[in-house]
Formats: sequence, C-alpha cells, structure tokens
Amino acid sequence: MEKQYWQSLEEYKELNEPSVLESKEPRPEFSVEGLDESEIKGTSSRRDFLKMLGFSVGTVALVSSCQMPVRKAIPLLNQPEDLTPGIPNYYASTFFDGTDYCSILVKTRESRPIKIEGNEMSEITKGATSARVQASVLNLYDDARLKKPWQGEVESSWNSVDREIMMALKSHSQRNRKVVLLTSTIISPTTKELIKEFITAYPNIEWIQYDAVSYSSIRKANELNFGKSVIPYYNFDKANVIVGFNADFLGNWILPVTFTKQFSSRRKLTVGNSDMNRLYQFESRLSLTGSNADYRIGIRPSDEGAVLLNLYNEIAKAVGGQTYNAPAASIDVKKAAADLLKNKGKSLVVSGTNDLSIQLIVNAINSLLGNYGTTIDLTRPINLKQGDEEDMQRLVKEMNEGKVYGLLAHNVNPAYDFPDRSSFKSGMKKVALTVSFAETRDETAQLCDFVCTSSNYLESWDDSEPVLGSFSFTQPAIRPIFNTRQFQDSLIKWIGLKVDYSTYMEEYWKAMLDQHEEDVNNFDEFWNKFKHDGAIHHVFDQTDQPGFTPHELKAVASKSEGIEVVLYEKLAIGTGKYTNNPWLLEMPDPITTATWDNYVCVPVGYADQMGLKHEDVVKVNGEFELPVIIQPGQPQGTVAIALGYGRTSAGKAGTGVGKNVYHLMNTRKGYADVSGTTVTIEKTAKSFPLACTQTHHNMEGRPLARETTLPEYKADPGSGNAQHKIDDKDNVTLYAKIDYDGIHWGMTIDLTSCTGCGNCIIACQSENNVAVIGKDQIRKRRVMHWLRLDRYYSSDPDNPDVYHMPVMCQHCDNAPCENVCPVAATNHSAEGLNQMAYNRCIGTRYCVNNCPYKVRRFNWYDFVNNNKFDYNLNSDLGKMVLNPDVIVRQRGVVEKCSLCVQRLQEVKLTAKMENRAIVDGEVQTACSQSCPAGAIQFGNLKDEKSVVSQNNKEGRMYHLLEYLHTLPSTSYLTMVRNRDA
Amino acid sequence: MILNGFLLKNPLRVKGFLLIGLLLFFLSNSFISFSQSAEAEKNFAVCKVCHNIDGPKLIGPTLKGVTERREEAWLIKFIQNSQALIDAGDPVAVKVWEENNKIPMPPNALNEEQIKDLLLYIEAGGKVAGSEVTAEVAVEEEHAISYDEATEEFLAEMKSNDYRHMQATFIAMIILILVSLFDLVVTKFVTQKWILIVIMMIALIVSGEVVFVEATNLGRQQYYQPEQPIWFSHKVHSGQNQIDCQYCHFTADKSMHAGIPPVQVCLNCHNQVRKGKITGTVEIDKIHAAWNDKKPIEWVKVHNLPDHAYFNHAQHVNVGKVECNDCHGPVEKMDEIMQVNDLGMGWCVACHRDREIQFSNKFYEQYTQLQEAVSSGELKRVTVMEIGGDECQKCHY
Repeated sequence: MEKQYWQSLEEYKELNEPSVLESKEPRPEFSVEGLDESEIKGTSSRRDFLKMLGFSVGTVALVSSCQMPVRKAIPLLNQPEDLTPGIPNYYASTFFDGTDYCSILVKTRESRPIKIEGNEMSEITKGATSARVQASVLNLYDDARLKKPWQGEVESSWNSVDREIMMALKSHSQRNRKVVLLTSTIISPTTKELIKEFITAYPNIEWIQYDAVSYSSIRKANELNFGKSVIPYYNFDKANVIVGFNADFLGNWILPVTFTKQFSSRRKLTVGNSDMNRLYQFESRLSLTGSNADYRIGIRPSDEGAVLLNLYNEIAKAVGGQTYNAPAASIDVKKAAADLLKNKGKSLVVSGTNDLSIQLIVNAINSLLGNYGTTIDLTRPINLKQGDEEDMQRLVKEMNEGKVYGLLAHNVNPAYDFPDRSSFKSGMKKVALTVSFAETRDETAQLCDFVCTSSNYLESWDDSEPVLGSFSFTQPAIRPIFNTRQFQDSLIKWIGLKVDYSTYMEEYWKAMLDQHEEDVNNFDEFWNKFKHDGAIHHVFDQTDQPGFTPHELKAVASKSEGIEVVLYEKLAIGTGKYTNNPWLLEMPDPITTATWDNYVCVPVGYADQMGLKHEDVVKVNGEFELPVIIQPGQPQGTVAIALGYGRTSAGKAGTGVGKNVYHLMNTRKGYADVSGTTVTIEKTAKSFPLACTQTHHNMEGRPLARETTLPEYKADPGSGNAQHKIDDKDNVTLYAKIDYDGIHWGMTIDLTSCTGCGNCIIACQSENNVAVIGKDQIRKRRVMHWLRLDRYYSSDPDNPDVYHMPVMCQHCDNAPCENVCPVAATNHSAEGLNQMAYNRCIGTRYCVNNCPYKVRRFNWYDFVNNNKFDYNLNSDLGKMVLNPDVIVRQRGVVEKCSLCVQRLQEVKLTAKMENRAIVDGEVQTACSQSCPAGAIQFGNLKDEKSVVSQNNKEGRMYHLLEYLHTLPSTSYLTMVRNRDA
Repeated sequence: MILNGFLLKNPLRVKGFLLIGLLLFFLSNSFISFSQSAEAEKNFAVCKVCHNIDGPKLIGPTLKGVTERREEAWLIKFIQNSQALIDAGDPVAVKVWEENNKIPMPPNALNEEQIKDLLLYIEAGGKVAGSEVTAEVAVEEEHAISYDEATEEFLAEMKSNDYRHMQATFIAMIILILVSLFDLVVTKFVTQKWILIVIMMIALIVSGEVVFVEATNLGRQQYYQPEQPIWFSHKVHSGQNQIDCQYCHFTADKSMHAGIPPVQVCLNCHNQVRKGKITGTVEIDKIHAAWNDKKPIEWVKVHNLPDHAYFNHAQHVNVGKVECNDCHGPVEKMDEIMQVNDLGMGWCVACHRDREIQFSNKFYEQYTQLQEAVSSGELKRVTVMEIGGDECQKCHY
C-alpha cells in the first residue's frame, strides 16, 4: 500500500476510516479570510464613517501644509578607523548561557549587534548555530533588562551597592560565617581562577555550581568506571550505528549544535557516496532526535533500565562478557544489538536519563563494543554541566537551618527552576546577605537584597573552554547599553583589585602560557589572533584514555501502572532563560508546531480512552491545569510537558505564559531527572486555545516530502522520486522558457540531512526583520515567518515516521503569483528572483491566494510602533535589533522570502569592487549560512560547478508540486532512511 | 509591465533637469584649470591642505621656488616619507621639520614619476596657460564671486521658474474653467456650447496634469537648502580650494553612506586654519567648540531618500564610476548645499536605462550571452538596464 502522509490526527482518521468523514463534526467554520467577528461586522456606524471622513480630510489638509521633517545627519566626533557607517563589522565571540555553548560571530552595524552567525574557525561548533543562539541577540534589547544595580525594591548606584556588599562580606568573613557563591556551570578558565582568588580573599565562601537540567550521573558513572568525573567528548560522526535512549542530542543534549553537525555529516548522499549512519532511538516522547531516527521505539521511562540491560546482555553474550540478571522487557533489542555488534568501535550508545544505574549500563555497553577511544573520547572531556545535585540539596538544607549567611547567585534562577523551589525560597529568607547578578529581575533576583545587574554576554569579556583544549573568546560587540557590570568585574571589585576583567584575563593567559612553558614572546600576536579567530585549539595537559573498571549493573522491572511524566526542554525556550524572547516564544515547535504556550502531550490511544480532544484542559496531579495536544508517537502510559514556562517574572512577553513544572522532576534517586515521576491526569470541562501552525499549511495529502530507504536508493538513486520523471515529461508550457544570463540564484534542501531544528526560522526572522505578531494572530493563521518548517507524519500514529520540510518562497520561473498582481508589485528578476516591491503593493492578496506553496504573508497590521503588539518592535530598545538593510514592512502589503536579496547584492558589489567573479559558497542566505546540518544550500544555478547545480543533477532532486509546472528555483532532495529493505 | 512603463512615462522633466545639470557640469568644468597632467593636479589636492604654492604660509611652507631651493632627489625622498628622512638625521630635513613647529609631513604613496610630475605642476605655479584658478585663495576670490553670483542666480531662477510656471498654469486653467462656466450659465456670450465644454475639458486636463505633477513631488525635496548649524561653504572648500570630495566624504567609495566627515577630519586642516575669508573665526570656532565639548555637530541632512529605497554610494562611485556632481549637482558652486535633483524614482531609472556599465569588470565574465553580443558587435554599449538595473529589487528590499 502506498504510504499515507497526514498532518493532523483528524486527517489520519479521515484517511483510514471513511465512516469518520460522515459522522464527524463539521469542520470549524472559519470566518472570511480569517477575520474574527468584530473585524467583519465592526462596531462602526454611518456616523463613525462621517466622523472618520471629516477627520481624515482635516488631517490630510493639515499634514500637506506641514513641512517635511528635518532629518539630522550626525557624524562621530572622532571616527575609529575600523568603523564605517554602512559597513558591518564582525566580532568573534562566544555564546554561553550556562547551558548551551556556541562559538559565534556577531554582526554589528553602526556599533549595534544585529545578527549572530556561526564561527567557522571553531572546531567545536564549526559555523553552526541553534535557534536559541540566533535569537540571543534580541535578549540584548530586552525591555526587561535592568538599567542599574538594585537595592531592595529600588534602583541604586554601584558605589552604594559595592560599599554595602563589601561591608557585609567582610563582616561574615571575619566571623567565619558561611557564604555561598552559587553559579551556573562555569567553563571559563579565567573566571575559575578569579573565583579561586575571590575565595582566597574571603575564605568563608563556598562555590557551588548548579544546572537546572543536570547530567551529573554521567560524571558519576565515569568516575566509577574510569576514575574520572567527566562527561566525555562524543564523536557522532565516527559512529555507523547510534543507539540513543532518551538522549535528544539533536535538540538539547549537552552540545546539540556540535552533535547535529557531526550526525548530519554522515547523512550526505551524493553521487558515488552512499555511506550513511543509522540511528536507533528508544524514547519516552517524540523528540527531535527521535523524529530523525531510522528506527524509533517508544518506551516508558521506567522501562529504560530493563531495555538497556537486555541490550547489554545481548551484546555480552555475543562477545563473551559478564551477563547480569535483567527483568524481562517487552521491547526486542536483538536488531539493535546485532547492528551494534557489526560495528564494534564504530558505534555509540548514549542515554540522556540522569540516573546512575542507567549510565553505568551505557558505559558497560560502550566498553564491550570498544567505543572508548573511537566514538567516545575520555581524554577530551566536555566541561559543560558541572552542577551536582548533592551540593545544591545540601545548600538548601543549610539555608533552611540558618547556617548560610550569604548567597551570591550568578546566572542561576533556583527560585524558579529548583525542583523544591518553595524550600529554596524559604531558605533564602533566612540568609542575611542575598545578591543576584541577574540581567533582569527574575524570580531569584526579586528575593535578593541586591541585584548587581550583569551586562549581556554581547557586552562582556570572557573566555571559554567547552571541551578540554578548545578555547574560545568572548568579546563585547557593544559597550554596555545600561549602567551594568559583568559578574567578573563585580568580583574583582570586591576582592579589591584595580584592574578590569579584560586585563585580568590577559594577565591570566600570559601566566598560564608561561606556566606551560609556551612561548610568550609573541603574546600580543597570539592574543590578537585569539580575539580575531574567536577560537583556538591547544591541549595543554595531554591525558591518556583510562582503563575501564566494571561495576555492578542492575535494573528494576518497569512499572506498568500509572502515567509517567516526561519533562523536556523545548528547542525554543530551553530551561526558561529565554521565556521573554518573543522570537522564541513564537517559534513553532518542530514537532507539535505549537507556539506561545506549553501543554501536555498525551498519547493517541490514551486520548481516545479519556475522550480528550486537542485543546481540552486537564488537571495534572490535581494541582495545575494545562491544555492537551494529542501527540502521535507519545508512548502509552506517558505524557510530556515542557519546562521553561510559567515564569512569574520574565518580562512583558513571557510572564505568565504556561505553567512551571520543575517540581515534577524525578529526584528520588538523588539525581534530578526529567522523567519518571508518576502523575495523575483529570479531564476538566474547560478548553484553552492553542496557537498551532499545524493545520493552516495543509497540503492535502500530496506526495510532498518524498522518501526512500537506503537499499532502494543504492539500487536506484531516483527511487521514491519516480513522479519527478513523469511530471518532467508531461509538463508543457505556452510561455517561453526563461534563459538566464550569468546568474540564476537557486537553493537545494536535502531532506535527508535536515533535522528540523528550526534554526533557519529564527535566522531568517533576525536577518529580515520579520515581525512577531502574537498568539491571537497566529491562531488566525497569519503567521509571518518567511520560512516555515512543515512537519508531516505517516504510518502508525503510535509510532509515526516524521518528516521535516523547510518551505519558503520557491522563486518559480512560472510564478502563479506574478500573473495575478494588478499593479505588478511582484515580478521576476533577471537573476531568477521572484521580487516583491512592498511600496508598490496595494494589498489585494491575489498573489497570496494564487501561490500554491502558501508562502506569502500579508501585513494585517502595522506591527512596528504598535502597542497592541507589545513584543519588541514597539520600544526604542527593541527596535535596535532591526537590520538596516531590510525595510520594515507596513500594514497592508504582502511580504515573503526574498532569498536574502540584500546579501546577494552585497556579495555582488564586493565582487565588482574587487574586480572578480563570485566564488561558489560566498553567497549565503541567512538560513543556509547557519544550518547546522548543511541541509540548505544556496548558489548560482548557472555555475555548473556550484553545489546547487551538482545537487540538482542527483536522482533525488524534485520540486515541490512540480506537476503545476511552476518551475521553482528551489529544489528538494528525497529523504533517505537507513532501513533494511 | 505595461503599468511599469506608464508609471515611468514622465521622462520629459527628468531629461530637462539632466540637461541643465549636464550644462552646469560642463560650464563648471571650463573654469577648472587644465594642467599638463591632470593626475598631478589631483595629487596636489592632498598637499594643498597644508601648502600654498604662492601666498601665505599655511601649516607647511609656501612651495613657490621649492624646486630651486632643494634637490630633486631629496624632494622625492622627503615627499615619499619625510619622517624616515628626519629619523635618519638628514640635516636639511630636520631643519625643515624644526622650522615648521615639528609637525611632520605625512608620507605619500607616490612613485618617482608622479612626484616629478607634481614638482612640474608646482613649478608652473599650479596654473597653466590661461587659467586663473590656483590653490591660492586670495587670487581667486574676485573671479569666484562674479562667477558664483551667476550660478546662484541661475539656480534660483531655475527654481522659481519651475514653481511660477506651474502655479501660473494652474491658476490660468482654473480661471478659464470659471469664466467658461460663467459664460455657459449666465452671460451666454459664446453661442456654441460645445466650444465652452471643450475649453473646460482641456483646462481640466491641464490642471489635472499640474496637480498630478505636484502630487508626485509631495515628499520630494528638490531645491531643499536648509540652514546648517555651521555656515560651511562647499564653494570655498570644494570649489576654490579644490579639496577632493572624497577627502572629507571618505567612505563614498567603500560604503553605502558617503559619510558626513567626523569633526576630526575638519580639524586636520582647521587645527591650523583658524580664520576664514568670509566668516572669520565665528564658524570655525564652532568646530573647536564641538571638539572641546565632545558634542558632535548636528548637520541637517539634505539628500533624503525614502526608507524603502536602498542606495549604495560605493556601488555608484566605485563600481559605476558615477561622478559626484551627476547626482548632487554643482556642489562646488554652492555655499550651503542644495538638492538639485528631485531624487525621484523616474530620475533614478532614467539614468539606469541610459548609463553604460564598466563591462570590462571581471564580474561580468559570467554573463556569456552579453559577452557574446558585445564581442560580435551586436551590442554597442552595455547599460545598467541590460544587467537588470531597472528591476524592483535592485533598490527595494
């Protein structure tokens, strides 16, 4: 039977049960053009009309008699050599927020950071970014940022804050009372040194690192097995077979940007290269990684130990290792075991569950398979996630016992994200001196006596060592906008040193190099190179791969009763640090396509059983209410809820969105794990509107995302893509074929490597000044994103195949939109672009209706300077993020993907000024540049050697809806899954 | 596309202005001196900032007779890199340096030939056969005034003519309509009613055209000449002192913005030149005040494009080799800057349709069809339009 694709469950039911068609309720009546009632009927009368008429005539008369506004051109007093108005400057820097790491380039225009790009010099992230990294530039211009240090409920000054804090610190120090410096994971060698010095100055201080989502059991397991408390470096690119257990390594696990780059590098099928890795994913919710798996198996969280131990035994039997008693598991692991055994030393087993017994089994399996030294590198540990739950639990206990006299909290928000936040809060009340270094008045900062407002990372100096021997540099791309001071400078001040942190860092590096007997004669040269490149790789202390010490393995039988909850970090929001970032709030989740809210993902069967519908509200644990999304692929007996919502003090966009579920973390075994807590679900009579982008781009079941399996592809590169040849042959046209001269811009999107991470959506939004429009507008299907990620399901709703498909304007040569524009506002360029002249558009929306790809967006409102859209574009600060090369569209015009024409023009101009031809790869759109998987490629189709031309020669190449003969300039490459025939 | 053509079908006015602009341009050219080597004159623009050929001493000594005072080889070395010579302890160089308040002369990237050429130019006094214009201000003053009055009158006339003409036509047409109407209803002097109706129709059409043209000009700022915070004269700087445009607007060939010079650029010269011929110290003191108070000067922007139009100076100056005057008019004749062209889209496109591109640029090698057409002689000149220069998204994005 032909594979069935469906985008929503209603659609699946229609496809499979024709009876549903008749019996089902009529589709909800959507009003004309998505207008709601008040907008259609309006409340205005004839009198209002006359009033408006009189008023507007009067205004016109008044305005036309006015003079043109006087515009000022204000040059600098003394223009620095490297600052030219109109030319962007790029600064290499590092994004590290305590959880995620990425080496970046900051694009600044007129000294104002406006865009984040990946840094190709970094061997860790290799020029890739994630959606959160892309969106972090907007946090710099967040209205919620504090402008000064705070003392209690009022703004204060640095002098007064410093005086009081230093007095308190000294008095506690003299009396030897315990003060705790609570930070997020610190990966900066200089900051570590500084903290050491700080503790020398105030010996009563204890330093504790804390992660909201912790992986400390990996460190513990490695300590038991290898004697090193580390997280090893994983080489996903060296693994032929990867078996993941609840490890969302393409989404959120440890170094997702790096792992996506590694993973997708093995999913590049070209002519003559059919090498491809295989991913088995055992998981308790449909994660991004699971949606990319070749074989995905749904398990309950409590099943994981048993399944893993069975897998271990299976492998141990084959290689002659010690086997352990394992409880029976319903899941068959023979296939995965066989594949792993076939690829000894070239395989990788990972688990994202923060449970020591599970991590010990994972280590044992990897050891049996000989993966240490090949796919797992213990000599290059990852320095992220250094937090230890034990310390934190002890701290909270001591705080409540009154043993802690001071708490300095840097880059952490335990009052929001600690599982037992109420006892943390009650403990804080008993601490004499509480200081926060937050940028905003977050939940913890609100309870603190002092807020020593930190600068944004784009205003700060720092260094990072995310992986042993891989250093990267953080340098300010802008001076602090407000009267803020970075955390390190505060410590320096309180120690009593007379340097600033950048000098301190330089001195530390000089001493460090000297200590390692490196040549420091050319230090300035080295330092400048470090600053320029942003990343260097140099291992100072070589270590050996340690030997494996076996440890007793055990697993408990799974629970079959009750509903287990799986908490997860959304790709956009993460742990809750970015809940006030409107770009991320509005970014559709790649799996559920929901924006702006959190919800409970319930399995399909369970929903049927409970009579739950999409958007019905359920009460979780009798404690809080959330709407449900019926999620295909959610294993029976589990539900999934996202972390990061329910902030009570995030800022204007994020406060009060969703519910905080950190208290549902599973802390029974001493580790804070995101899964395994049992909850109760009760149905309520209420429903809550969710803004999903799911149904409004429905392509009605046409074979859009084409797929095949690896054996079939090897036999015939055009397999799964037979329709392409038919359509190609049948298509005839009356129009003359356009013959481009010199340049024909084109794009190819490889569905095999695309992981659906959503980075491109935010990169595009940031580059092209795409407005945030809010939940109500999204519900009216007025999404403004120029690039959307379509997500399709096929096959079994309990464990579906998932397809991610980025769709933007296809720039058709026979563009249906161009023919219907009455004012020629959209037309074709000599370089193959489907151009859109906003200032000519009169807003008939004929083009929107005539576009088969539904990629054109209409500005229903002015989204800028409009307080009804209270996100970032209505404040002077928020508007600083706008790209000056791209116009901000006004109300009543249609907009769409321009293939980043401003970048094309810029590169052409550079080439002309340098009197040379364009080099392939030089021209990058925002989406193609930052794609961590390299799935989106852009270039000149007239250049035979360009990557896009080569891709188009592949058997996998097809166009979207090609039977319409729109002749798109964008093409797709069939998705290949590495499954046995 | 039909509409596209219609919207731009107002080339008459545009061409008129272009003609006037070109006329002015040629007129102005005829007043600029012709040296043996145009290059030497251009190179001298840098020297001129600190040196007079004849006349009072500026920052550096007056250059009259310098070729007799010093040896040519020494001069070449000194011009190329004076500091090196001073550091090497050359007695003459050190003496010159000390005589001139120890202000070193910046190095110049000129080869021997260029410097020899430059010296010839200096020997000739910077003026060659028949030309009255030199780098020396005082000599030029009288000539300049008589000329500039003419220019200003011309500009003013151009401006007022335009308006007067339009207003007069409009009023005449309205009167015509009213008179015809009056006759039609009351006096009935003309017996054939159709004559009056035709007259009214024509008058209506003509006045409609006037309204259309005026409406198009709403929001445009042709002949805009605001008062600036400092009475800065382009006529003095660019016209009389012949300072190259890009000495001050130094990003014009690199960036989209030509750049308003930062105060520090003004001070390059005005550190020494503290008194002007026309305004004395009043205006120059404002520069120093700005510098001392650390307050940037808030110039009034004259040439404003709407936000939805992208314009890049580097593209036009560097790649297209468009002269500054082509768009900005005879800047060197204006005291306070005035916008001469309307900067409307019709004006832009008219030029794009007509102007030849630098097709020898290696960038255009990939345009195989165009290359063939040119080499076969089918195409005489490649204009901007040929490479898509009249498309919407070349300027609107």
